Amino acid sequence: MSTESEPARILVVDDELGVREGCRKILAAEGYAVVTAGDGKAGLEQFLERGPFHALLVDLQMPRMSGLELMREVRSRDEDVVCIIITAHATIDTAVEGTRQGAYSYIPKPFTPDELLLSIKNGLERRALALEARRLRDEREKRLLELASERSKSNTIIACMSDGVLVINTDKLVVLRNNAAARLLPDSANRELPFPLDEIANRDVREILGLVIGSPGEFMILSREIPLGGATYVVSASPVIEPGGETSGAVAVFSDVTALKKLETAKSTFVSMVAHEVKSPLAATEGWLNLILSGMLKHDEAEERRMIQRSLLRVRTLRSMVNELLNLTAIETGNFTLNRRPVEVASVAAETAAAYAEKAAEKNITVSAAPPADPVPGVLADREALSIICSNLVENAIKYGRQNGRVDVRVASAGMYVTLVVADDGIGMSPEDRAKVFDEFFRARNEVTASIPGTGLGLSLVKRLTELHQGTVAVESALGSGSTFTVSLPALGSAPGSVPLESQTHSVLQRGRGKTEA
Amino acid sequence: MPDTPVICLVDDDSDFLEMEKSIFESRGWRVRCYTDPAAALAGLTQETPSLVVTDLMMRALDSGFSLARAVKSDPGLAGVPVIIVSAVSSQKGFDFHPKTPADLAAMHADAFFDKPVSPAALLSKAEELLR
Repeated sequence: MSTESEPARILVVDDELGVREGCRKILAAEGYAVVTAGDGKAGLEQFLERGPFHALLVDLQMPRMSGLELMREVRSRDEDVVCIIITAHATIDTAVEGTRQGAYSYIPKPFTPDELLLSIKNGLERRALALEARRLRDEREKRLLELASERSKSNTIIACMSDGVLVINTDKLVVLRNNAAARLLPDSANRELPFPLDEIANRDVREILGLVIGSPGEFMILSREIPLGGATYVVSASPVIEPGGETSGAVAVFSDVTALKKLETAKSTFVSMVAHEVKSPLAATEGWLNLILSGMLKHDEAEERRMIQRSLLRVRTLRSMVNELLNLTAIETGNFTLNRRPVEVASVAAETAAAYAEKAAEKNITVSAAPPADPVPGVLADREALSIICSNLVENAIKYGRQNGRVDVRVASAGMYVTLVVADDGIGMSPEDRAKVFDEFFRARNEVTASIPGTGLGLSLVKRLTELHQGTVAVESALGSGSTFTVSLPALGSAPGSVPLESQTHSVLQRGRGKTEA
Repeated sequence: MPDTPVICLVDDDSDFLEMEKSIFESRGWRVRCYTDPAAALAGLTQETPSLVVTDLMMRALDSGFSLARAVKSDPGLAGVPVIIVSAVSSQKGFDFHPKTPADLAAMHADAFFDKPVSPAALLSKAEELLR
């Protein structure tokens, strides 16, 4: 029977009422759904209106439209309909003609109910088998199509990967090589696949693939760091294992780790620099304390006091270094939150100059922060950060300034920017030192600077903080003729979307200024 | 010791320079201080000291080594003992700390100390080398 759950639907077309109704009774009793029609034309109408049908029982000779004609019409619309001819004039000719038109079989009249049922049953079975075969064929074709498109997709993806991919089979023949792998192994780039693994010039690549393929049954993954084309690659080789567990080859993946290596080196260098920079002031402090405790000074109180002060200086340097390190790390990790408000740079400059007056007086240096001659727009800045920038520059200027010298802090408007200039007439820098002055832990080392304490972090902090404010910092200097640091910050009102200083922020500035004067 | 010993100190960290100066002066010795190894070498050839005490890593990584080598290879200075005092004995993966007398000889030094060196240890080593 049909695999379909609905009862099979059968259209019976015959101009003899007796045959029509007889068929209906026999078929309906077996559970089929039966529709009848009295001639070919009526049959076609029924087919179109009440279809689909699984089978057609049709008389050959009928008025208006013959059985063969009806069969043609029906099969042109649904070729799966099983057509069975019932005819009183069964001849070999009509039977052959009927079969040619697509009939499944014919039953000569008169026929017994069993003959009819057997014929219908066989026809429907045949139909079910044909349908199933077609469904399977369609499915297979669809899967093949999907597979083909998946495969070409995978191939395209592998070809375009930035990591190199190289596959060898168990005969040590290179069977797959993507674009990146071809580029990384230029000696064999023009070899057509497949080609022997031995023709790859790189010994490391040959070795690890050879080792993996040489240990079948073992899931061995080998990685090696290999310099290739000026970069560093990690090449990992692993076996290609089929679903059945059989090793069918080995695959090598080439990943560029150059950036990682650089980062690793930078990190180690930084950690080692920090350790050294921390160790020096600690060792100096410990040295002074050892000396005081050694009793060698014969309890000269003034001398002991001087040494304690020297230790204190180194401890303070250490503390500011730790602070600066924490600030630098916070900036790098994005944890340095800027509380940006409109700020008048000149007020920060004046505060800083005042704060360092005492320290400058030790070297008889004058720090001046004259108010700007022309009005200067504000900047959108974190006041504390701006204060750190200004303090570091002024402190440096004093440290590297001359006895009886001067430090000038000037604020001016320069187009879209506000500039903060800190100039000294001190020892200055050589061009080589000037190039590295913003690097972490860089300190100019010479006769004069040897006795000046410092962390080597202040100026790199100035640079980072300035850049956080979309500003720039520059330095002009020559050995023996002082240094001039210029910080440029975007002026308020010049950047798109920023608030004009005059209209909205004046009150804030007034309050800010009032606070500092208090 | 018939004459007052003259100690040549070389270190670009003024704290250590002053510390060592105090240590040797407490013995009544004369001390000459240099923050630059090149200036120290120039001073040495003018007046031969009794002892050189030098830092290791100054402007160049091995400037202490270079100074020690220069002292030992100068016929007029070869007899002057050299003490290396360093805070970088294991800096950058190198272990400078000498393990055997051969190591010391290889760095042209007679003694090696980690910073900070205890005043008593430095003095007793200096006395031993001056004897």
